[in-house]
Amino acid sequence: MSKRIVAKNRNILLLILLAGLVVISVTVYLLINAHPEKPKLFQYILSLRLPTLICMVIASVAIGAATLIFQSIVNNRIVTPALLGMNSIYSFLHTAAVFVVGTGSTLYLNANLAFCVDLITMGVIATLVYWYLFKKTGHNIFYIMLIGTVLSSLFGSIQSSMIRVIDPNEYDALLTTLVADFNNVNGEIIVIAIVCLIMIWIGLYRDLKQLDVISMGRDQAINLGVDYDNSIRRLLFGVVLCIAVATATIGPVSFLGLIVANLSRQLLRTYRHSQLIVGASLMGMIALIGGQLVSQHVFHFTVPVSVFVTITGGIYFLYLLLFKKGAY
Amino acid sequence: MNVQDLIKSYGSKTVVDEVSFQVPKGKVLSLIGPNGAGKSTVMGMISRLIAKDAGIIRFEDKDLAKWKSKELAKKLAILTQHNNIQMKLTVRELVSFGRFPYSGSCLTKEDIAMVDNAIAYMELEEFEDRYIDELSGGQRQRAYIAMVIAQDTEYVLLDEPTNNLDIYHASNLMRIARKLCDELGKTVILVLHEINYAAFYSDYICAFVDGKIARFGTVDEVINKECLHDIYNVDFEIIRIHDKPLSVYY
Repeated sequence: MSKRIVAKNRNILLLILLAGLVVISVTVYLLINAHPEKPKLFQYILSLRLPTLICMVIASVAIGAATLIFQSIVNNRIVTPALLGMNSIYSFLHTAAVFVVGTGSTLYLNANLAFCVDLITMGVIATLVYWYLFKKTGHNIFYIMLIGTVLSSLFGSIQSSMIRVIDPNEYDALLTTLVADFNNVNGEIIVIAIVCLIMIWIGLYRDLKQLDVISMGRDQAINLGVDYDNSIRRLLFGVVLCIAVATATIGPVSFLGLIVANLSRQLLRTYRHSQLIVGASLMGMIALIGGQLVSQHVFHFTVPVSVFVTITGGIYFLYLLLFKKGAY
Repeated sequence: MNVQDLIKSYGSKTVVDEVSFQVPKGKVLSLIGPNGAGKSTVMGMISRLIAKDAGIIRFEDKDLAKWKSKELAKKLAILTQHNNIQMKLTVRELVSFGRFPYSGSCLTKEDIAMVDNAIAYMELEEFEDRYIDELSGGQRQRAYIAMVIAQDTEYVLLDEPTNNLDIYHASNLMRIARKLCDELGKTVILVLHEINYAAFYSDYICAFVDGKIARFGTVDEVINKECLHDIYNVDFEIIRIHDKPLSVYY
């Protein structure tokens, strides 16, 4: 009995430790070279850094949760929504919206409205595509991976063909919202993104409680009384929306989800998704904020964070493939 | 449980063709038959893992499809061969999942007592804090059975439980299936490949050939030369040991 309690306390301790690291990196990020002795300048610097910081926090939660939920749905630890092209579906839909209505329309000029339109189309289309994919392939992970990769380049190509025929000025305007990055976050949609995440959490509360069982596989989940097909569809919808939120706020960061989800599993060694999701979100924050610190103050903006994330993520992915045979 | 005119086709191939039978309550029923005879598919349909094309499955006088999944999980447990868990899970945690239909993930004192009992019943005390991916096949199978026991259902369905087990573990498992029925009063339904396990440990046998029921009856009614020849198309010798028919087919 004592061993079990120790294991539980160990995880809570680890999570508190991670939260402490997050607080430290947030403080350092906000205060480094911020000149608090000059209030005007200090205020200005904070007004620049705060939106970026909040966006990184939102994106970390969204990516961490989306990846963990997705991995449990497909019962595989090396698949991420990004690998299956969810990011490119988002970019495609966003471009398509601009392509159809033009950058002059209110639909585009009002960032919140544009985001809502993106969310709804993304939610419906991506959920249908992936749900059909799972159903059709009988959750066969190799087919899903293969079709996901194909879908990813398909949507990428459609998007680039649209960009080619679009008016150059429109393209220029589109680019700033499409290629959100850490130095150019989409700060206008912070409130609605947070509201969206909270609504996903409330809407999926009951399904999230069943995630521990769902990750035991379809047969076991049904045996233990989970309304499997409906639950999976709702969870998938949540994953798709989370990816949309993350991509809209900080742009596509393909490997981040893979890293944080697996590190969280490795560190916490538990099946409890409540702990795993919190762990992955906190690690995401540390990685993004830390990466941004390094990018800003060591490399002076010459190397963007996404490069670090992709390089470490790629190496970690190979490591999982080659040395963690049990992972997939 | 009562099954009527059950049909299932994949494409143009009908794998289960108008199957009807009644499950005897409080007994051990084995489904046997050659490969592709549809026995596992029938098992899948009566446990709601596979959707049926036509027919009615009545469970406690109510259409199986009308049962709430959660309520059904308190009455009927199914253990398949495809148990591929990707998580770090200890034996005790796995067995605790058996209480999920009752209490979700917050176990009550009563639930913990049930889990303790199930672990003790399967003699898993010394492994209870080990991770299941570190166990041998036989130990893991026992852990899954313990989970089914903790689920405390009237009906226990086991799909080819002796697959991949050596003789020692397989016969142990069959004894456990028998004990679930005799000691705990459960109705046990098994899908088996090994005829002699079916003959020695079950009360009733249902034999499938080409998606139809070839024979349904007590062990002695099914396990005899003529029947087995019809089912498997192989010549059999039947020897009686401990008043049970042992079939020899080599």
